[in-house]
Amino acid sequence: MRTKGGDQQAMTELFDRYGSMVYSIALRVLNDPGQAEDVMQEVFFQVWRNPKAFVAGRGSLGAWLAVMARNRAIDSLRRRRPTDSVDDIVLVSQTDIGSDVERNRMMEKVRGVLKDLPMEQQKSVEMAFFEGLTHSEIAARTGDPLGTVKTRIRSALMTLRKAIGA
Amino acid sequence: MQEEHIPQEDLVLYAMQAMQSHELAAVRLHLDGCAECRHALAEVNGDLALVAMSVEQKPLPVGARQRFVERLAADASRTGGAVAASVISMESKRPARNAALWIGCLAAAASLFFAFSLQQKVRMLSDQLAQQQQAAVQQAAANARAQQVLDVLTAPSAKRVLLTAAKAKPEPTGRAVYLADNGGLVFQANDLGQLEADKTYELWIIPANGQAPIPAGLFRPDPTGSASVVLPPLPKGVPAKAFGVTIEKAEGSASPTAPIILVGAVAATGE
Repeated sequence: MRTKGGDQQAMTELFDRYGSMVYSIALRVLNDPGQAEDVMQEVFFQVWRNPKAFVAGRGSLGAWLAVMARNRAIDSLRRRRPTDSVDDIVLVSQTDIGSDVERNRMMEKVRGVLKDLPMEQQKSVEMAFFEGLTHSEIAARTGDPLGTVKTRIRSALMTLRKAIGA
Repeated sequence: MQEEHIPQEDLVLYAMQAMQSHELAAVRLHLDGCAECRHALAEVNGDLALVAMSVEQKPLPVGARQRFVERLAADASRTGGAVAASVISMESKRPARNAALWIGCLAAAASLFFAFSLQQKVRMLSDQLAQQQQAAVQQAAANARAQQVLDVLTAPSAKRVLLTAAKAKPEPTGRAVYLADNGGLVFQANDLGQLEADKTYELWIIPANGQAPIPAGLFRPDPTGSASVVLPPLPKGVPAKAFGVTIEKAEGSASPTAPIILVGAVAATGE
């Protein structure tokens, strides 16, 4: 990543490439354009100030930024301090989504898989991932046992993993 | 004894930050010492990244890029030393003095110049590409908004309501119920204007047979503009064509004085 060493141009290119994605994820969680922009700026500034936080071995940069954006947006939603360090986020991506075309094709596939999940799984993932509820809060809201909530979320991700890896 | 690995359900919740705080410590402790679970967690993070990235792309707010670039520049100017250091470190060492080295250095300089020119060109093209991408995003947003407008305007279920300027003061109205056979009349008026002390409202029956209007009672509105005339003395058996209200002297008048404040024709159904 060329941002190492404080290259503004490289950072701007990074922003141009991933800014919309990071903003869209934050907006999806927060539903507030102003807060979403704040989260987006925070994510990119963490990269700018601490470019070593991301190393290629941690996964694809886009995927890493996506997880960062979601986690920071949830922190903002819950009005809490960041619960994890950028150094904590390590991910393994099954797919190469380096090019825009490949990424768009992949995201269409992911949307299709998520849409086809059983409704209970969709709702559980929605509440946990985009609303930032804990499994206890989801169980309380839905009236389902904790174990059921956990299983639904895991099953949804496993279905996604299998479909993408197929 | 080997500690049991973290169940995948819990790894998923951990990655989503959906665990209760008291559960986190045990998971973190295990992760610190278990490469297998760390790898499993990384895979879950990869899955979650896909979920996050599948969110529908929205255009950036207007000016967001500029704000970011300006903040970046401000931050860079505060911490400019690191940037300068990295640039300085790229300078080549002093050239050797023999001819072969001179030739080599000249070739290297030419290559550097060419590389520099190429880099400038790449940056310029990158800038242009970024601007075009930004313009495309803005255009997409404009198109989406135009489509929304069109959807609203053409939706069959849309409610269409005509709004007009609200009247600051409500218009006076009156309602008369008249039974010609026995000369019974009940009249109720609302939102009437207040009158001077020497004036009064007067109700008139306009007979259907073309005779002169018959006075049907004097009245003054209360502070809210309401007034009524109930069963005034009237001749029986006089069909009415219309009713009217005028402003007259306090003692009333034998014939109506223009202008007519309220007027209403008797409808075919009788009212």
